[in-house]
Amino acid sequence: MKALPPNLLEELAAAVGPDWVISDPDRLLVYESDAQTAHNVAPQAVVLPSDTDQASQVARVLHRHQIPLVPRGAGTGLSGGALATRGGVVVGTSRMNKILEVDPSNRRAVVQSGVLNTDLSDATAPHGLHYAPDPSSQAACTIGGNVAENSGGPHCLKYGVTSRYITGLRVVLPDGTTVWLGGQGREAPSFDLVGLFVGSEGCFGLATEVEVALTPLPEAVETLLAIFETLEDAGRAVTSIVSAGLLPAALEIVDRNTIKAVEASIFAAGYPTDAGAALVVEFDGVEAGLAEEAEKAEEFCKAAGAREVRRAESAEERLALWKGRKKAFGTMGRLAPDLLVQDATVPRTRLPEVLASIAEIADRYQLQVANVFHAGDGNLHPNIVFDRRDAEETRRVEAASKEIMGVCVDAGGTITGEHGVGADKQKYMHLVFSPGELEVLRRVKGVFDPDGRCNPGKVVPEDEAPSEAGPNERTEAKS
Amino acid sequence: MKNLLRELKKQEEKLFNCVQCGFCLPVCPTYSRLGDEADSPRGRIHFMRAVVEGRIEPASETLNRHLDRCLGCRACESVCPSGVEYGRLLEGAREVTAGAVKPNLLTRLLPRVMASPSLLPPAMLLARALRATGFPRLVALRIPDEGFLGQVKLGMGMIAATARPEVLDGGWGRNVIKAETGSEDLVGAGVRVGILKGCVQDGLLGRVNRATARVLEANGYGLVEVGGQGCCGAIHAHTGGLGGARDLALKNIEAFEARELDLVAVNAAGCGAAMKDYSHLLADDSEYKDRAVNLAGRIRDVSELLSHPGILPGGALELSVTYDAPCHLLHAQRIAEEPISLLRSISGLELIPLPGHDECCGGAGIYGITHPELGGRISRDKVLSILETGAQVVATGNPGCMMQIGAGLEAEGANVDVVHPIELLDESYRRGGLYS
Ligand SMILES: Cc1cc2nc3c(=O)[nH]c(=O)nc-3n(C[C@H](O)[C@H](O)[C@H](O)COP(=O)(O)OP(=O)(O)OC[C@H]3O[C@@H](n4cnc5c(N)ncnc54)[C@H](O)[C@@H]3O)c2cc1C
Ligand code: SF4
Ligand code: SF4
Repeated sequence: MKALPPNLLEELAAAVGPDWVISDPDRLLVYESDAQTAHNVAPQAVVLPSDTDQASQVARVLHRHQIPLVPRGAGTGLSGGALATRGGVVVGTSRMNKILEVDPSNRRAVVQSGVLNTDLSDATAPHGLHYAPDPSSQAACTIGGNVAENSGGPHCLKYGVTSRYITGLRVVLPDGTTVWLGGQGREAPSFDLVGLFVGSEGCFGLATEVEVALTPLPEAVETLLAIFETLEDAGRAVTSIVSAGLLPAALEIVDRNTIKAVEASIFAAGYPTDAGAALVVEFDGVEAGLAEEAEKAEEFCKAAGAREVRRAESAEERLALWKGRKKAFGTMGRLAPDLLVQDATVPRTRLPEVLASIAEIADRYQLQVANVFHAGDGNLHPNIVFDRRDAEETRRVEAASKEIMGVCVDAGGTITGEHGVGADKQKYMHLVFSPGELEVLRRVKGVFDPDGRCNPGKVVPEDEAPSEAGPNERTEAKS
Repeated sequence: MKNLLRELKKQEEKLFNCVQCGFCLPVCPTYSRLGDEADSPRGRIHFMRAVVEGRIEPASETLNRHLDRCLGCRACESVCPSGVEYGRLLEGAREVTAGAVKPNLLTRLLPRVMASPSLLPPAMLLARALRATGFPRLVALRIPDEGFLGQVKLGMGMIAATARPEVLDGGWGRNVIKAETGSEDLVGAGVRVGILKGCVQDGLLGRVNRATARVLEANGYGLVEVGGQGCCGAIHAHTGGLGGARDLALKNIEAFEARELDLVAVNAAGCGAAMKDYSHLLADDSEYKDRAVNLAGRIRDVSELLSHPGILPGGALELSVTYDAPCHLLHAQRIAEEPISLLRSISGLELIPLPGHDECCGGAGIYGITHPELGGRISRDKVLSILETGAQVVATGNPGCMMQIGAGLEAEGANVDVVHPIELLDESYRRGGLYS
C-alpha cells in the first residue's frame, strides 16, 4: 500500500475542518476492526464529514490522489466490511446523524446515513409509525450500514429486510459526484438502482442520505416463549407453525450455550439454563384473531414437546422475553474472549440435519458453538467462541467454520444471511458463484467504481484463486 | 512500567470480555458529541487492550487524551451485554497512565486536600465564608464563559450552588419526634445506622447530612455517630491514585467497624459507589480484604435504605420537581427506581420526567474545569433540558451533580433550586409536623 501523499491531510482538513481528520497512528488503532474481532487493519486516516457536501469534497480529494475510500457507520458490522484492508482512508458517518424529514402522511422519512436505526423508529413513533427492519444491533447500528449490508432482523420474517424499505438514496460516488438514486417515494422509470445499491457493502460509494418507507406500528402484539429439551424439538415446532400457514412476525431460536451466556448477563431473561433451546414466537397486526393465532402456535409448540410455554401479558413482559434474544451476541463475551459470529442461510426444512452436522463438527474440533437463529427464514448464526491468544485453537476455529459453511452450501443454502461478505467471506464466494458470475459482479462494481478504489478487497475476490487468509491475520496498515 | 501494567494485566480477562459489539457507543456522552471512536467506550477499551498487548505506550499522548476525556459515568456499563466492568478497567488504566505522565496540578492537588484532615476543614471553611459574601453567585452570573475566566466562573458557580435553596425554608426544631403510629412496623426499629459524612458534603452541603439524619430517625433507625471517618477515596481512585484510595478505605473500615453498625447510609452517590467497591479495591490485601467485604455489604444509598419496607409519609409539599439520576447511582450502583419512589411518596409533589435523566451532567469530579469545552457542552445540554421541564426544583443525590447542575443554572440566572431528594422528604416531614 502506498504512503499518503504529503498534502492529502491538509486537503481533507480543508474539506471537513481539522478536528475531523484523524491521522495519528495511535488514535487510528480504534478503527482497526468492527464487531468481528478476527480482522484487524488500521486505516491510514479517518475523516468525519458532517453532510453530503463535505463528503463529496472528501471523495474528490481522495479521487485526485487515487486513495481508497472506505465507508464506515457504527462499526457493528460482522464481516470486517468497514476496514481499510487495502489501506486508504475511512470515511465515517458518525456526525451525519440528523433526521432531515419525517412525512407521516406519506409514511416516509429522509435521514442522514449516520442516524441510528432505533433513533429513527423513536422519532417516528409519535406518529404511530416505525422503521420496520430491526437488526438485533438496532440500538447501535446506522441506517447507512443497514443499507450497505441489506440488514435483516427478527421481525423481517413477516416484514421483509432493509431493501423493501429503502425508496431513495443520495450517494457520493468514489469520484465525488453526488447522485440521487430513486427518491420521493416514486418508482424509478428505469433500472432499479436503489435495489442495486442496497447490499453493496460500501463498494459502490458512500450513501449520505436515505429515504425510507415507514410502517404503522402494529395495533396488537402477542409474544410467546417456548422452552424445549432439545434444539431439534424447537426446529420441529417451527416447521409445524409455518406449514400450518400461520404467519408470525418473528420466529427466533436460541440454543443451550446461548441461554447460558444470556442468563449469566445483566440481560438475564429468566430462560431455564438446563433447557436445550428456547423459541420466541411473535404475532402482530390487527387485534382481531391475533390471540387465536398465538393459541394455535402454543399448541404446536406443546405438540413438538415444549416443556413450558410462556405468554407475555404486558409490554414489559414482552420486552423481557425478547431481551435474551436481542442481546444474545453480546452476552457471548461471557463464554470466551473471542467470538466468530457466523451467518448462513439454509432451506428451512433442512435445518434439523444442518444443526446436527454443526454439532458434530463442533465436537470433532472440540469447540463450543452457540446457535442463535432466525428460524423462520432458515438464517442461522452458529457462533464459535474461542480465545484468539491460543493460536492452535484459532486454527481449529477456522477449519471448523469452513466445514460449517460447506455443510450449509451443500444443503442448498448460502454463505451469508444478513451480515454480508465483507473481508471475511470473500474466500467462500467461489462456493456459491461460478467464475462467470463473479465476473458479472466485478463489472457491476466497475460501473460505480471504475478505479477499484471504493472499499477495495471486499466482497468480490479480486482474482480467481480463493484466498486462504485465516481469521486472525493482523495486517498493520501503518505506512 | 512493568509494575504499573500489573494493574491492567490483572484486568486482562475483563478486557477480553469486550466483544466489540458497539452497543455502548450511543450512550456515551463523549462519543455522541465528538463522533470519534477514540472517544467511545469501545475505543477506550481497545486502547487499554493495546497497552496490555504492548502496541501502544502508556505514556502515549493520544491514549491519555482519550482516557482523560472519559467522564467515568459508566453509562456504557449499564448497556453492555457482555458485562465488561468498565469502571474498574478505567481505574486500572488511569493508575497506569498516571504513572507514565504527570497529571495536571488540580488533579494532583484536589485529592490531597480531600484526604487531609488538616487541609480539608480550613479549605471548606474558606469556601463557606466565600459563599456567605454572595460574591460567587455574582461572579457565576456575570463573567464570561471563555478560557481561564470560564473556569473561575464554574468554580464559583459550584460554590454558590451549595447555598440553601429558597424552597426549603429551614426553621428546624432540635428534636425529632417519632410518628405516633406505624413506626414499629418499619424496619428501622433497632437497626443501628451510621452516616457517611463525606468531605465536600460535610463541608458545603452539611444541610443534606442533617436532613438525612432527621429523616432516618423519623423512620425509626437508630443513628450512631461515627467518629474518625473521612473521605471515601472515590476521587483518588478515579484519578489514578488507587494507593491513596486504599489508605482512605482502611481508615473508614476502622472507623465504621468500631461502631458495630448494621448498615451505613450514604447520601452521596459517588461515595456510595466507591464504598460498595471497597471489596474490590482491597481484594489483594490479606489483612483487610474480608473486613472490606463486610463493610461494603453494609453500604446503602439513603434512597435504597428507605425503600424497604416503606417510607413514613409526611406533610404535603406543593412543588414541581424533576429528577436527574447521578451516574454513580444509576449506572454504578444500578439504583434507578428508589429515588423516584422516594419522591413519589411525598404528597402534593408533582414529579416531571426529565428527558436524558440517565445521561451524565458533565460534573464527573472536576471535569468541567479540566475539560471546559466538552464539559461545558454536556452540562449546558443538561441545564437546557431541566429548564424545558419547567420544574421549580431539580433533585439529584450526589454533591458533585448538585454543584455542577447548580453552577449551570446560576450561569443562566435561572430560578430553579437544586436539592437532594432526601431534603424534600425532610421538608415534607417538617411541614407535616413530624419534627418539633
Ligand atoms: C450484537 C450484534 C447483533 C447484530 N444483529 C444483526 C441482525 O440481527 N441482523 C443483521 O442484519 N445484522 C446484524 N448485525 C450486524 C450489523 O449490525 C449490521 O450489519 C449493521 O447494518 C451494520 O451497521 P453499521 O452502521 O455498524 O455499519 P459498519 O459496520 O460501520 O459498516 C458495515 C458495512 O457498511 C458499509 N457502510 C457503512 N455505512 C455506509 C454508508 N453510509 N454508505 C455506504 N456504505 C456504508 C461499510 O463500508 C461496511 O462495508 C449485528 C451485529 C452485532 C454486533
Ligand atoms: S457494549 Fe460491552 S462488549 Fe459491547 S463494545 Fe461496549 S464494552 Fe464491548
Ligand atoms: S464511562 Fe461514560 S464517558 Fe466514559 S466511556 Fe463510559 S459512557 Fe463514555
